[in-house]
Formats: sequence, C-alpha cells, structure tokens
Amino acid sequence: MNKPPGRPAGPPPIGRHPGPRFNGPAEKAKDQKATLKRIWTYLNKQRIGLISSIFFVVVSTLLSLVGPLMIGMIIDNYILKFDLNGAIRMVLVLAGIYIISAVFTWLQTFMMIRVSQKTIRELRQDLFEKFQSLPISIFDKRQQGDLMSRMTNDIENLNAAVSQSVIQIVSTVLSVVGTGIAMSYLNWILAIVTLLVIPIIIGSTKQIIKRSSKNFSQRQRDLGSLNGFIEETISNSHITTLFGKEEQAVAQFKEANEKLRTSALKADITSGFLGPINNFINNLGIGLVIGVGALLAIGSLGVSVGVIASFVTYTRQFFRPINQLSNLFNTFQSAIAGAERVFEILDEQNEVADVPNAISKDRYDGDVEFRNVEFFYQPQKSVLHNISFRAKAGETIALVGPTGSGKTSIIQLLNRFYDAKRGGIMIDGNDIKAYQMENLRDHIGVVLQDTYLFSGTVRENIRYGKLNATNEEVERAAKIAYAHNFIKYLPQGYDTMLVSGGMNLSQGQRQLIAIARAILEGPDILILDEATSSVDTMTEVHIQKGLNNLMQGRTSFVIAHRLKTIENADQILVIKDGEILEQGNHDSLMMSNGLYASLQNQLQVQ
Amino acid sequence: MQAVLSLKKYLKPYMVFAIIAPVMMLLEVAMDLVQPTIMQHIIDNGIAKGDTAYVFQMFGLMILCAVIGLIGGVGCSIYASKTAINFSADIRQDLYETITYFSNSNKDRFTLGKLITNITSDVEMLQRALTMLLKMFIRGPFTFIGAIVIVFLTARELFPILLVVVPILAFAIFFFTRLSGKLFLKVQEAVDGVNIRVQENLAGIRVIKAYNRKHHQIQQFTSVNENLMKRNIHADQIIGILMPLTAFVVNMGIIAALWMGAIKVENSTIEVGVILAFINYLMMIMGGLMGSSSVLMQIARAIPSAKRIVAVLEEQSEITNLENPVLTPIKGEVEFDQVSFAYNKNNEPVLKNITFKAKPGETIGIIGMTGSGKSSIINLIPRMFDVDKGVIRIDGLPIKEYDLSMLRGAIGFTPQKATLFSRTIEENVRYGNNEATMEEFIEALEASCAFEFVEKLDTKEQYRVTQGATNLSGGQKQRLAMARALIRKPAILILDDTTSAVDSISEKRIQKAIEENFRESTKFIVSSKISSLRHADKILVLDDGVIVGQGTHEELLEKNKAYQEIVSTQLVRGGTLHE
Repeated sequence: MNKPPGRPAGPPPIGRHPGPRFNGPAEKAKDQKATLKRIWTYLNKQRIGLISSIFFVVVSTLLSLVGPLMIGMIIDNYILKFDLNGAIRMVLVLAGIYIISAVFTWLQTFMMIRVSQKTIRELRQDLFEKFQSLPISIFDKRQQGDLMSRMTNDIENLNAAVSQSVIQIVSTVLSVVGTGIAMSYLNWILAIVTLLVIPIIIGSTKQIIKRSSKNFSQRQRDLGSLNGFIEETISNSHITTLFGKEEQAVAQFKEANEKLRTSALKADITSGFLGPINNFINNLGIGLVIGVGALLAIGSLGVSVGVIASFVTYTRQFFRPINQLSNLFNTFQSAIAGAERVFEILDEQNEVADVPNAISKDRYDGDVEFRNVEFFYQPQKSVLHNISFRAKAGETIALVGPTGSGKTSIIQLLNRFYDAKRGGIMIDGNDIKAYQMENLRDHIGVVLQDTYLFSGTVRENIRYGKLNATNEEVERAAKIAYAHNFIKYLPQGYDTMLVSGGMNLSQGQRQLIAIARAILEGPDILILDEATSSVDTMTEVHIQKGLNNLMQGRTSFVIAHRLKTIENADQILVIKDGEILEQGNHDSLMMSNGLYASLQNQLQVQ
Repeated sequence: MQAVLSLKKYLKPYMVFAIIAPVMMLLEVAMDLVQPTIMQHIIDNGIAKGDTAYVFQMFGLMILCAVIGLIGGVGCSIYASKTAINFSADIRQDLYETITYFSNSNKDRFTLGKLITNITSDVEMLQRALTMLLKMFIRGPFTFIGAIVIVFLTARELFPILLVVVPILAFAIFFFTRLSGKLFLKVQEAVDGVNIRVQENLAGIRVIKAYNRKHHQIQQFTSVNENLMKRNIHADQIIGILMPLTAFVVNMGIIAALWMGAIKVENSTIEVGVILAFINYLMMIMGGLMGSSSVLMQIARAIPSAKRIVAVLEEQSEITNLENPVLTPIKGEVEFDQVSFAYNKNNEPVLKNITFKAKPGETIGIIGMTGSGKSSIINLIPRMFDVDKGVIRIDGLPIKEYDLSMLRGAIGFTPQKATLFSRTIEENVRYGNNEATMEEFIEALEASCAFEFVEKLDTKEQYRVTQGATNLSGGQKQRLAMARALIRKPAILILDDTTSAVDSISEKRIQKAIEENFRESTKFIVSSKISSLRHADKILVLDDGVIVGQGTHEELLEKNKAYQEIVSTQLVRGGTLHE
C-alpha cells in the first residue's frame, strides 16, 4: 500500500528563494462550479469557525498594511524632525499593532485548522461509510488502489487547499488591494511604478509554468515507467537470476534510466528558472521604487524619505505572496479535481434497499430454489443462463465446472452480492428479495477460498462471526474447525496478533480460522469455496474434517474441487458456459455417461 | 557521515558543475546583499544633497546588480540541476546493476521491498537534497552571515539589536523544527492507522458484507478518524505559532531600530538611510535563517537514505565465479554428497546430510510436508544459494567450479510461484530461450498443455500479460512458466510443484509430454501429490530436512513408513476434477 505523500515536517520555508515549489501541472476538474458548491456544503457546517477565521485574516492583513505606513510616518514626521518623544510614542503604538497582528495571525491559523480538519474528517467518514454501503460490483469494477487513493491522496489534496489556500488567497487579494490603496494614498506616481511589476511577475511565472508543464508530464511518465520496471524486475529477480538474464535486464534499465535523465534535466532546469527570475523581478521592483522615488523626492513631487521607506517595505512584504499565487491556483485545482473524484464515489448507487415490510426470520429452513435465473455483468455477455435447481433443507449441493463457468456467480446471487436479472430465487418459499438483506446475510455463512483476516488477534478474528461470543464459544468453534491444534502452538495462542490479511499465517491456517468463524456464526445456509493448492496434504485433511463438521445439518453450496466432496454430495450441478449441463448425484451422473462421467473416467484410466 | 562520503565518487564526473553552482549562487547572494546599501547611499547622499546625477548612477548600479544576480541565480539553478540529476541517475544505474547480480541470500538480507524503496525513493530523496544543498546551502547561511557582517560594518550603532534578535530567532526556529518532527511523527502514526483500516476494509469487503459487519466497521473507523483529526489539529496549531512568532520578533527588531535610530539621528550619530538599510537586512537575516533550517532538515532526512544506498552498493554478491571456471557442456549427472544448508546461519539447518545421485535422463521425485526442505534442495542446484557443508557435483565436478552462466544456462527451472512479466505470452515463453524457432516455441506450449488455452485468447500468443499476471488463472500461469523452462531444452529440468493449480487430467498429459520429449534431461519434480511423482525413477521422501526414504514408488510403498502415511492421507483427499 502506498502512503499518501507525507506533509513536509516543519514550517514552510519563509526565505524568498527559490520561490514557490513547483509540483508539475495540476489536474483539471470537469465541473468546477458544482464541485465547489459541494465542498461549500461541507464547509458550511463549520460556518462559525470559517467566518471567524476570515475575520482574523482580514484584521491581521489590514494591520500588516499599517506597519510600513507607520514606519514611513515615524521617519518623516518624527525622526527627521528630531522629535524624539513623539517618535518613541509612535514606536510604542507600532509595537502594539505588531503584537495584535501576531496574535491575530495565529488565531486565524488556529481557527482555520479546526475548520479544515473537521471538514476533512467528515468527508473521510462519509466516504468510508459509503464504501460500506456500496454494492460488491463497484469493488469488482474498480481497483482497490484506486479507491484507496481517493481516501488518501485526494482527500489530503483537499485538506491542503482548504487549510492553506483559503487563507492565502483571501490575504493576498486583500494585501494587493490594500497595498494599492495605501500606495496611491502616499504617492500615486510611485504606486503605479510599483504595481506595474505585479503583471510582470504573474506573466513570467505563468510562462515558466506553461513551459515546464510539458516537460514535467514527460518526466512523470518516464519516472512512472522506470518505477514500474524496477518494481516488476526486482520483485521477480529470482527469474532473472535463474535464466541468466542479468545483462539484458541492466541494459533495459539503462534505456529507461537515460530517458528519465534527459526529461528530468529538461523539467528541472525550466522550473528552476522560476526562483531566480522572481528574485530578479523583486529586486528590479525595489530598484525602481528607490530610483523613481529618489528622483521624485529631489524634484519635490511629494515624495519624502519616509514614503520611500514605506514603499520599500511594502514591496518586500507583498511580492512574495503574489509570486506564490499561481502555484496556489495549482494546488487549488488539483484539490477540486480530487474532491470531484471523492464525490464521484459518494454519488454511486447504494446496494439495493429492502422492500417495504421485508421479512425478517430467526431461523431459515434452508430450502433454496433457482427458477430460470439469468444473469450478466455486461448486457451482451451472458454469465448465467436459465439456471434452475432446487436444494432441500440440509442437502449438500456441489457445483462443478471449469474456471469461468459461472459457479461463483451462482453463489454471489445467493447472498445477494448481485441480483438476478431475470427469473427468481426462492428461499423457504419466498422470493429472496422479500427478505431483509441484513437478516438474510446473518443466516448465510460464507467461507471463501482465499479468505480475508483483519489485523487483530486470532480470537478477534474468529469472534467476527459472532461479536458477543464468549472466549469459551470461540475456542469451541476453533476446536470443531480443527483450528485449535495450530492456534495453541502460536506464540501467544488465541491472543497472537495477525497482520492485515493474516499474512503471518499460512493459507491453510487462514482457512481454518475462517471455518471457525463460520461455525461460530452458526448459519442456516452455508456457502463454501474449496481450496485446491498451496496447502500440504495433512493440513488439507484437517480442513476437510473442519468443513465436514460445519456442513452437518445445513444446506450447503460447495464449489467443489475434491472428488470426495463431489461424490458425497446430495446433488451435483455440472456447469459449463453459464448453463447447467448435468444434474444429479454421483451414481446417476456416472450412469448417464455425460461430461461428468467422461471426466471421472479420464482420471481413473490415467 | 562515512557512508555519505563514499558516494563522493558519483559526484566526480560532475565536479565542475558542482563547483560552478554554489559560486553562481554566491554571485546572486552578494548582489542581494549590496542592494540595501545602495539604497542607503541614494537616500543619504542622493536625496539629501539633491544630486540627480548620483541617483541615476546608483539606480543604474542597482539594475546592474539585479541583472548580475539573475545570471547568478539562473546559472546556479542550471548547474545544480545538472549535477543532482546526473548524480542520481548514475547511482540508480549502479544500484540496479548491483541488485540484479545479488544472490538470493543478499536479497533476503535486505528484502526485496526495501531494495525497491532504495532504488526509487531513496535515490529521489538524495537527488532532492543535493539540489537543495547546491542551491540553498550557500544562500541561507551566506545571506545570514553576510547581512550580519554588513550591519556590523555600516550600521554598527544598531548592531546591538541583532545580538538580541538573532539568538531568539535561531532558538525559535530550532525549537519548532525539532518539535514539529515529533508532532508529525505522531500524525504519521495516525495516518497509518486510518490507512490500514481503509485498506483492510477494501480488501475484506466480501467478508464484511457476508457477515453484516457494516456498523461494527464504521464504529472502528470513527475512532481512528477522530484520532487523526485531533493529532492533526494539535500539530498544526502548535507549528502555526512559528510564523507569527518569527514575524513578531523581526518586527520588534524594527521597533528597536526605529527607537534607537530616532535617538541616534537626533544625536546626529547616524543618518536615516541607515535605519532603512538595517530594516532590510533584518528581513534578510530572517530569510537566511529560515532557509538554512529547511536545507538542514532536508539533508538530515537524506542522510539515512544515503546510508541505505551505500549499504546496498557495498554489499558483495555472495555467489560468484571462480577465477578459471569450467566451461565443459553439462550432461546432467547430479550428485548431492552430505549436503547441509541453513538460510539463517544461527538457526538449525533446513537440510541435513542430504546424499543422493541422479543419472542423466532420470526423473527424481521429491515429496514431503510443507517446510520439509523440498524447495531448498532444488534451489541449491542452480546455486541460488551455496551449501554450508558437503558438496554438490555435476558430471563429477563440484558445481562451484562451473561458470555460473553456463551452469544456469543448462538448467530449466520452474519455481513454485509462477511469476510472469508484463509482456506478451510469446515474449514470456521466449524469455527461456531467445533463439528458439517457432516450432520449438509451439512445442513448448504443447508440452505444458498451454497451447490450447493460448489459441483461445483473442490475440493468441501476442496476448499481453498484465503486471502480476492478473489476467490469467493460476493454472494458466503455471503452464506458461513451465513452457518457459521447457523451451530451453535443458540438461537439467527442475519443476517445483508446478502443477498444483492445474487440473488432474492436464497434469497427466504434461507428465507424459515431459517423459517423451525430455528423455535425456535429468528431471527433478517436487510435489506434495503422490500422483505427480508416482512414475519417477527415484523418489526422495523428506521430513524436516532429512531424507527419510529413497526408492521407487513400489519400493517405498512396501517398506517406508513416512511414504505410506502420505499415501494414506492422499487417498482421503482424492484428486481434483478441475482448476
């Protein structure tokens, strides 16, 4: 799993150089307005915090405008007139302003962080809850990494934008306008000279970003393919070694690496111009202010030394945020694009809702009937066609057929991961859709071939089948599932911690725990997918015994691989290309001499 | 530090660039530093005396300085990028080469995941740190020191202010930088907590739905989510103090400058321009300090990366050729003589005193429980690992004396896990032998029972396998991996449990094809299924790293207890009907 890009630990650098960090082209959102509106509905819940934060931004920005003005005034009206007492009085006033300004600047961050973090938490919670309500088809359609990155990267992008950009944009706009007014008030000629620099900054930054965007996307592509190559060849490097292909691999790597070297150089050099050029424009601006200011002062055109001082400070103070503005819009754009991806998931249709007055039962008999069931994932590609069969309470039904024949689809219809497109599925005489979905799933137990265990103790994982089970119940279930034998040899027994996916256990052990989990749940209908590989024979015998205990007295549907299971089943459904080809028990199918019999015979002969 | 220095040789080809970059940067910084002084002269000499010509002169000088600064800055940026990118590209190349030639025990020591991180993010980190170092390391400290020196020289009356302001600033920055490291570590923990939960819920969604545990999961998530929010707010709010604090300290410096300045100007000890210049230098000092601290942080974070990279580069591959390796073609007689082997030399060996002999053309079956050492035996033959005790001979010579690529070239190996590359099916199979003819290619596919399914794919042998071969079933992957070994027509063919996901009928066909087409090859077949080995010329029964029986199926069935036990459990299990 990829971690989201970590926030740089520590404060943002304050030095003027090397200017804004360039992160490559921003992704564009499709419908900015609608997305912004929707972000607003989230922010609106933190209205009080947001409003007070903006209030603090306005005040602190205004105060920061007053500083330079006062410096100039102090120089002109007091220092140059040798009014020491007056100067000290004014200096104290200025000190007061700086104190308030510092406090307000902090308050503004303080409030804004609360607003953004609370908003982000809510969005994250909504997305997580949505994940839980989505139909299985979404998880089949979309890659896990894709959903994961919506939860991490996209939301993190939004967080960066909300927590920083809002404040920065408000304060930059306010500063530019305020500075403009203050400067015009001081001296309009000098003001025009200074403000002329702003379009140059924006223009040149835009040009550089435009030029380097292209180089950056090329670099990103080259980096992506190089990393893909590294990932694949190093994880499979034993194959390279076994087949003696080291030289070939190194040569291929060199090709990709050289490509990256060229494109990375181009991208880095162009974007590296941004810092020095901004620095140059800043210096040019200050030079202009001083030069023009001095000429105006000499010409007695209303410019004093104090005014020049104010202008210089203004220039120093406000060029930087303008430099960063374009980068800020980039952040903003990728945030909106990210938010759009999050909303896209939030807008997905939920799992089917229960019908009014849905049935809820304490116990199901387990009488299951498929009536002419049709099913497909995509309209043109039929997956199940005209499936009809009946399983009486307590029977074991074996599903047999090659990969992709539709066995798994039948099972997914049973616990309503999907609904049939035509035909009906009856359980205890009622249509499957007439039951409350939660109630139905509570009574259907599933053991998948590669089951999933959560991080936590072994005990917690078994208890997942019945959350309020006592320790004794958990251990009893483990004993019936033949899991107790290996659990007691684990370092901490039932309290041994498992990592995500239970990867510190073997596949066979994971499956035994899954069986114990199903036993603890005590379902009325059981769905099993037998494992065939990766388990040594002794463990497999144990798993088989565990499964046999579990199937006792329950209607069971087994995707069967082992001949033994198949032979002992009450009914065998031979499925091929989405249709039931043959149906019966072992003896009757052998008699009828069809596909099943020929498969069996082939095995016997060899 | 030693580690970092040993990367010096990668800098050598670009030494000129690496020197030009900071020199150019010095130029830019010097120009920045001169500016307030020029300004001071304009005010104190130009305006005060009404000297227009002087103002023009000085203005011209300022613009000139700005241009020179620009050249310096751009030049620094270009050469810094050139140095850093070339430096990292060279390291990446060497790293990849080193890793590619690693033996298995080298790889095990580092783990594959970490090696991938080394070559991707660690190199990236190094590149970024070097760029920063070349661009900023001169800038930050030099601006900082330069500004202090200039103040000392030109505005000594106001210098005492720096003695107070600078230590406070330095301390504040140091303190908050350290604090933020700790706080964000905690945030990162909380982020990991959330990520693990989300990842688990996505991976285990079927289990969650099947067990109706939606509310339980949401409840769990709510608490980690809440925790993340709290830690984020806490960290951000504390770090948020730094900005206003430093601004405040600098502003207080300005206040002090105005106050003291007012007094000195009244005494006529200084002129107004000095105050103005001082204020500008004060801001530069703050910028310089901040800049230095962020460079230092970046470098501090890159040092562990550099150490990890050096550790990989300095690692010696454990399995190499002797000085004059034997190059005689291999016929395929394999002999294990008292071989013992352990992955971890402190632990009990996984193979103990293994002795057996395989004549050319024989089929050797190896059977035993998971963890009994079956795969370890066959991995010793292509020298994926070297034995600890005893010796393995091929055609009478110890395998260490053979040329490595010759030895491995004579072996066709199909590992337990069928790994394919993201290329076409043809490229994957031909990976075993680039020179194979079309007939040989099809023969290999047919022998491994892969031809049939490949022909059914829409693009046949040009079908592109995805990364991790997710677009093929387990049985299909195994068949292609076998074809890749068979196309080599090797003297020694090794199949490590390669039919576990193949249905019983196809398995029989594969066995037959190998028996017929590879009469001369010595064949090693590892399996946990009796049915796969039944016809072997010799079956080795392994238990806990020891051979507890060897002989044909019939011999073992008659007198070997361990073998009889395995047979009896297999009868309970039966075969498998389909994949």
